[in-house]
Amino acid sequence: MSGGVDSSVAAGLLIEQGRDVVGATLKLWGGVSDSGCCSVADVDDARRVAQMLGIDHHVFNYTEEFERHVVAPFVEAYAAGRSPNPCIECNRHIKFDLLFDRARRLGFDAVATGHHAQVVARDGAHYLIRGADDQKDQSYVLGYLGEDQLATLLLPIGAMNKSDVRGHAERLGLRTWDKPDSQDVCFIEASKGREDFLRQRIDLTPAVIVDRVSGEEIGATQGAELMTVGQRRGVLPARDGERRFVSKVDLRAGRVEVGRLEDILVNEIALDASSLTFSHDVLVDGSAVLAQWSAHGAAQSATLRHRGHLRLELDVPARPVAPGQSVVFYRVSDPTIVEGAAIVAVS
Amino acid sequence: MSLYYFDHAASAPRRDEVADAMAPWQRGVVGNPSGSHKAARDARRAVEEARDEVASFVGAKPGGVIFTGGGTESCDLAIAGVTSHHRRTHETSEILISRIEHHAVSDAAEKMARDYDDVRVGFIDVDADGVVDLDSLMSLLSDDTAIVSVMAANNETGVRQPLDGVSALSKSMIPGGVLTHTDAIAAASWVPLAAMTATTDMISICAHKIGGPVNSGALILRSDITLDAVIPGGGQERGRRGGTVDVAAAVGLAAAVRITMKELADVNDRVLDLQEKLVAAVSLIPGCRVTGLGALRVPGTVHVTFEDLASDELLFLLDQEGVCASAAASCSSGAASPSHVLAAMGVSRERARGSLRLSMGAETTDEEVDAVIAILSGVVYRLRSEA
Repeated sequence: MSGGVDSSVAAGLLIEQGRDVVGATLKLWGGVSDSGCCSVADVDDARRVAQMLGIDHHVFNYTEEFERHVVAPFVEAYAAGRSPNPCIECNRHIKFDLLFDRARRLGFDAVATGHHAQVVARDGAHYLIRGADDQKDQSYVLGYLGEDQLATLLLPIGAMNKSDVRGHAERLGLRTWDKPDSQDVCFIEASKGREDFLRQRIDLTPAVIVDRVSGEEIGATQGAELMTVGQRRGVLPARDGERRFVSKVDLRAGRVEVGRLEDILVNEIALDASSLTFSHDVLVDGSAVLAQWSAHGAAQSATLRHRGHLRLELDVPARPVAPGQSVVFYRVSDPTIVEGAAIVAVS
Repeated sequence: MSLYYFDHAASAPRRDEVADAMAPWQRGVVGNPSGSHKAARDARRAVEEARDEVASFVGAKPGGVIFTGGGTESCDLAIAGVTSHHRRTHETSEILISRIEHHAVSDAAEKMARDYDDVRVGFIDVDADGVVDLDSLMSLLSDDTAIVSVMAANNETGVRQPLDGVSALSKSMIPGGVLTHTDAIAAASWVPLAAMTATTDMISICAHKIGGPVNSGALILRSDITLDAVIPGGGQERGRRGGTVDVAAAVGLAAAVRITMKELADVNDRVLDLQEKLVAAVSLIPGCRVTGLGALRVPGTVHVTFEDLASDELLFLLDQEGVCASAAASCSSGAASPSHVLAAMGVSRERARGSLRLSMGAETTDEEVDAVIAILSGVVYRLRSEA
């Protein structure tokens, strides 16, 4: 229970289904939080919701593990020129690993969350499916879950639209019903942003922004770590007036290369073999997949290749994807089913 | 399901005698003690009688008793009040506190340092048993020192502190002497404070740890110490703490103090036996280490650490069996926080994460201790077999 409307309603629905429910909020971040998740005010909201629903509520302290598995790697990744997804790391290491183990030790049969996704049992196996509301689908951040976790995971709101969820919250009399959804990363103050957060921990690299074809210097940045390939935001148009997109970030050289969209599109995305996971069946070399590489981007047709280096060959060229981003594979024959995931490697 | 209340150190059960003493002052006409008419005089008399009792509890003069809205406020008044006054006549003001103080003291000190460039905080080390290291204090004392604050007994571990040694150094090492303060909140149920704090200048106590109401406390000054009021208000308590004096709260504190003084010897004896039994039993649990075993501790507290278990999980399963216990301070979110006290004692992070405090009081029975021993053993076994 994060204090947000999704997990509040998830709890309420499970209780209405007659289940024996205990609410737990994870204390993950000890610093300031104004993102709508993890502040003391949010814990109070979760606690109050639990009180109103008539269930016990506990707060579990995972701040050390969160620092070790999520925050520190987040900072290291940026320093190494990658663009990490801390929410996915939190899910992998904290919520769906440590918390699942704890739940088992404490005698629970299942863990439920308010994620917009669904678990479906079919032929003795459990599959992760996209949430019913396309705008809110969160199957992407759960792409790493395997049978062990899926078998004991309940996602009560995954089959609903967000407006239905808020409707239930209002019906249940929960005070979070009109609380805005949390945005961005829970440990970064929305009012200050990533750059401020990173600057407190590492030195950022100034760099010139250069057109990859003409060599024209079209700008500069105080923190090249914050620029990611494929990005357009923050890049001024070149002298020809056309938009430029980041094609390469070279921290050591202090140089960011940009190009016109059509010049920077790529045909393949390299993947880190050690990060590759499959929910059930292994996707062999040459498998067709629908690959999604951002939380709310559309999945693209591609072929997974193992020979040589692990990579995705795209059917249609796309903007490059920053190393450190997660790619989740959906089944071609049924695009709502998650088949596996991997992290983008440096190409 | 029976409730086994082993969290007396967090808040002690409210005594009937306290509720009875407070009742007349919680309904109907209760005069403002600052007024001049009969109702005011009646209220004033109740406050002054309460003041006398609190004074005799610590062996001080009634004029030195300042009623506050709780123990935290009392500690804050001592730290902030003395330091603010000190700043007027000194270029630098240093607050020396032990590394194991309750947040009521440490947060007050750190806030002063944050708010004022000319204030700094120094930390007195403790040894592995959690006892203040007097050599460390000696090396820290200086002409800039405004106040030395060392608690009488630690609220997490129960370990008693050498207040006489602290006072002796503070008075002898610096010309003019340095003011001393002690947070006696955790010690008040167990230790004859008049004797233990005889050489300490300022003492903080609060009611709800000794069977009285919450948000009722006192700062007692042994001598004519000048401090700035933190809540200036209407000049009550001789200008040291503004705001209408809460008659019921003062009466409640006095009633709690009265009961405590009367029972002190008996409760100490009985609970000491319970502590011995509990310590002996938990020592048999593999991997369980009793904290501060080498030090003098108050009878009520048994603090243990496990290297392989998590406090959150121990408390959860104990709670399920009806045992109310705690581990370290709760932070504002309600989660258990890593203990700065254990860290100061050199306890490893792993052990500190597996800490558990069972605290008893006058009401604790032999049967309850037996029950908790069985439940705790069962919980530990269960967590280990699931691992």
